[in-house]
Amino acid sequence: MADRLKGKNAVVTGAGSGIGKAVALALAAEGANVVACDLGGSTDGKGASAEPANETAEECKKLGVQAVPAFGDVSDFKAAEGMIQACVDNFGRIDILCNVAGIDRARMIWNMSEEEWDQVIAVHLKGTFNMSKHACVKMRQQRYGRIVNTISEAWVGTVGHVNYGAAKGGIASLTYAIAWEMGRYGVTCNAICPRAATRMTMGPEVLEGYKKRVESGLWSQERYEEVTHVATPDYLAVIPAFLCSDEAAHINGCIFGAAGAFFSYWAPAHESVIFGRDWDKYGPWTWEEVAKCVPTLLKGYVNPAPPEEEKKK
Amino acid sequence: MADRLKGRNAVVTGGGRGIGKAVALALAEEGANVVVCDIGGAVDGSGVDKTPADEVVEECKKLGVKAIAQCGDVSKFADAEAAVKACVDNFGRIDIVCNIAGIDRPKMIWNMSEEEWDQVVAVHLKGTFNFIRNAAPLMREQRYGRIINTVSEAFTGGPSHLNYAAAKGGIATLTYGAARELGRYGVTCNAICPRAWTRMTADDKVIEGIKKRIAAGLMPADQLDRMMNELADPSYFAAFVAYLASDEAANVNGQIFFVSGTELGHWTQPVVENKVTRDWKKEGPWRFDELVKLVPEKLLVGYVNPAPPQPEEKK
Repeated sequence: MADRLKGKNAVVTGAGSGIGKAVALALAAEGANVVACDLGGSTDGKGASAEPANETAEECKKLGVQAVPAFGDVSDFKAAEGMIQACVDNFGRIDILCNVAGIDRARMIWNMSEEEWDQVIAVHLKGTFNMSKHACVKMRQQRYGRIVNTISEAWVGTVGHVNYGAAKGGIASLTYAIAWEMGRYGVTCNAICPRAATRMTMGPEVLEGYKKRVESGLWSQERYEEVTHVATPDYLAVIPAFLCSDEAAHINGCIFGAAGAFFSYWAPAHESVIFGRDWDKYGPWTWEEVAKCVPTLLKGYVNPAPPEEEKKK
Repeated sequence: MADRLKGRNAVVTGGGRGIGKAVALALAEEGANVVVCDIGGAVDGSGVDKTPADEVVEECKKLGVKAIAQCGDVSKFADAEAAVKACVDNFGRIDIVCNIAGIDRPKMIWNMSEEEWDQVVAVHLKGTFNFIRNAAPLMREQRYGRIINTVSEAFTGGPSHLNYAAAKGGIATLTYGAARELGRYGVTCNAICPRAWTRMTADDKVIEGIKKRIAAGLMPADQLDRMMNELADPSYFAAFVAYLASDEAANVNGQIFFVSGTELGHWTQPVVENKVTRDWKKEGPWRFDELVKLVPEKLLVGYVNPAPPQPEEKK
């Protein structure tokens, strides 16, 4: 056991399996005490079980740290408060929060039900807000904290689950905003964009879906190989652990790609190619002006999904 | 009246005031029939008033197009469904959706209530989803559609209303996603990132808040002056939205544009700027010591912490 996080106390959501479990164990391996939060449901958010959180807590203890399980629903504001409080009650304070819990309910937008939208947004986006809000109150007072959120490459556009993508886009912006608000108080907030083999990314049904995308031409064979040839989450778990350490005190508001095979930095969206003018003098933009400007604004742009001819039935 | 959108039918949310009103009028100006949706509430989402939507309907009609008012709540799925249906029932089909309705309830995270979070995310993010979701099956069926959403610069950072920022980040990604899913069916989805003089950006309370933030060092000292110089009325850039809604923009899809009276810009997507790759089967899990070296040397080259830790102020 290393001791770079010795004496620190962490709350990890989604800690019962997959990436969350690997993160919980990585924090424990560096000496942090852990509240392992997991509702124990399936990847589509159904069901509940105490077993996954209990097991992770037991495995953490074997690494020589204190650990307790928690079973609250991250999308429930009060339950989130309870899990943050559990860290303070059991270990004395809260230093680290890793928001990893997530579900997926994939559907094309024209078929997506209101419930499928609501539930995915609630678990990811509201869940991340809920945990962060309660942690920030305490972290601001103690002038120390580390928050690591989980987003996804779906953040920059995805086919088949816009609910998941939108939630992740929301978390990316939430990460930037928390970093801006909390940085001055010694609290950092960063996010990882992980790629790992878990039940959510490599379960049998998911693999079936990937194959369909290749068959329908949405994905190339290379894309399929790239997505399915990935390491387990323990390969990348030290990346969030590093972001939770004192060594990362000046890393704030950053999004990192994290996988066994790569480690990368995502630059935020930025504005480019600006046409400026004096609005007082020129009045409203005219249609002709706009039509002239747009091709320059879009220099190098490729339509991600150009219109196709209707297939004969 | 021009006729670049003649025969097109549009739904504009937040059409009663501010940017939404300017957009509704710009579409009508080009000949589109308009469903003006506005619940008529205050900037913080409270209250209901049918007058703003009714007034814009009258103004649209004066431009020679058909127009009707809808006063539903965009955050309610059934209300969005009704607004889309009203467009089809009254005008025959739906070609254009402009999601502009929005509210703001700023608060720092440590003070933000659950209700403040929920309400802002519901109006912006769910509201935008609700309209896209209800229009998408019809647009897909007819193989034609134009969806224009509204995001904000707040989606890349900034203090004091992370509910708003998170909702806008969600809308940015929803724009990218809907564009990819619907593009092949002749439906485009883009977004504007506007800067304009409206009651949300420039009423007395907002200006007071900006002064406070400048005093606290949270915003640069010239923020207010810059804002005053840059903020034109939304009618100055409304033609941009009308353009995105037209046939001329058939191949513009999944993009976010900065629009104001002064500037037009393009927001490029987040990109992987720096990347270290390795053979994971050979190297095994990443090691802490590796990261300590890699992060400053390879990944965060040129990075500046947006909010470095400050010493505690003496009380």
